[in-house]
Amino acid sequence: MLHEDSHLSDRDLLLWADGELSPQRAAGLRQHLSACWTCRARMAEQERAIADFVQLYRRELDAQLPPADGPRALLRARIAERTALPGVGRSVWLNRMRPVRAATVLATLLLVTGAAIRIAQHGNHAAWNMGAMGAIPNVRLTPGATDPIGMQDVCSANVSTNDPAVPDPLKREVLREYGLHDVPGNAYEIDYLVTPQLGGAANIRNLWPQPSLHTVWNARVKDALEDRLHYLVCSGQLDLSTAQREISQDWVAAYKKYFRTDQPLHEHSGRTRFRASPAG
Amino acid sequence: MSDTPNDSTLDIRLLAAAARRHSAKPRLEDEIAELFDQWRGSLLRYLSTFGLSQHDGEEVVQEVFLSLFSHLQKGKARTNLRGWLFRVAHNLALKRRDAERKGMGIAADVDSLPHPALNPEEELASNQRQRRLSAILRALPEQDRRCLYLRAEGLRYREVGEVLGMSLGSVAASLERSLARFQRADKR
Repeated sequence: MLHEDSHLSDRDLLLWADGELSPQRAAGLRQHLSACWTCRARMAEQERAIADFVQLYRRELDAQLPPADGPRALLRARIAERTALPGVGRSVWLNRMRPVRAATVLATLLLVTGAAIRIAQHGNHAAWNMGAMGAIPNVRLTPGATDPIGMQDVCSANVSTNDPAVPDPLKREVLREYGLHDVPGNAYEIDYLVTPQLGGAANIRNLWPQPSLHTVWNARVKDALEDRLHYLVCSGQLDLSTAQREISQDWVAAYKKYFRTDQPLHEHSGRTRFRASPAG
Repeated sequence: MSDTPNDSTLDIRLLAAAARRHSAKPRLEDEIAELFDQWRGSLLRYLSTFGLSQHDGEEVVQEVFLSLFSHLQKGKARTNLRGWLFRVAHNLALKRRDAERKGMGIAADVDSLPHPALNPEEELASNQRQRRLSAILRALPEQDRRCLYLRAEGLRYREVGEVLGMSLGSVAASLERSLARFQRADKR
């Protein structure tokens, strides 16, 4: 039994406050504290020291913490990649991108963070822009992501003009992220925002469900823009990073700019080549 | 005989389906996502104390949860996942920091660690007392600082000890020593 004149040690006070004592010992300390103002005052000083430290520790960090949406989606996509059967739906592009995955993730996070800041600044937490029939992806979910590749890679004669197939688990993850459940398989195509032809990365931050042909600004029109930008980049008329930025920020605006038209050209709307992966 | 189910058969099927849905285990991916939401902030905060940038911290957190996915997928123990997460994050952060230092030719001097509360802008903006507290924190040995950080993230003494490889008594002694220094800040 502790008495008022024996007082508790700092260690006892700390262990008691942190709930690290046995119930029996804790009961003894509680009884002493109820009688001893000196020990309670010392415990208050200790609590103040804890509060000082916690304030110091958390002051700036909590305010700087970016939203979890992007990193969580990235984690889900990486888990989906791991659980996918090896080799299924994996293209030459994806195999080429394996060595630079860490850099891709970093680039993605940078873009995600930038997008989050843009959203925070404009107070725009609206979901996918259904008013535009989903022609433009939600910047929060699909800010675009690129691999660190150079002009030589982009303009090499060996580069495939077909986008790599998107693995099924990743497609499902993209649809889930956009809240699209039980949609017909031909209603959407999972498309790359920045095409791999221009260094676009094969990860969820660069993929979105693009509505099929019933919209004006559909996948075929975007294909035409991608070809145009690729030509301009490889003929030295446009910087690669500018092309990547413009197509990721607003590909419809980029189309209007580079084809000098407000509506898709007839020959582009009627194109037959398809590069995006059906969603279903 | 018709294949069309009558009402009672349909009811039974619906009930069975509902029961299956009700008893279905959550998918491991969803569980991981929930844990990610729960612990990402704490882990990022702790990782920043190693001097890692926010982007590096995010990448380490991704590695931690991918490891957790593999861990649980193999059917390994689910006890004390919080301690497990911090232990893996701690070890990955140490590796990354050491690799960066080797790459930059910097000696492993723990006391020269950048600390989020100690950047120049903050130093200027802080009042005198906060600067004094910052100086006290900076002067603590790294192990003592880590005990404080982990305890502030809600880890019990046993978990702190597991992350840092210390006994329970050493954790208690470390915390007591550090708090006593903070308490003396106002008595000088």
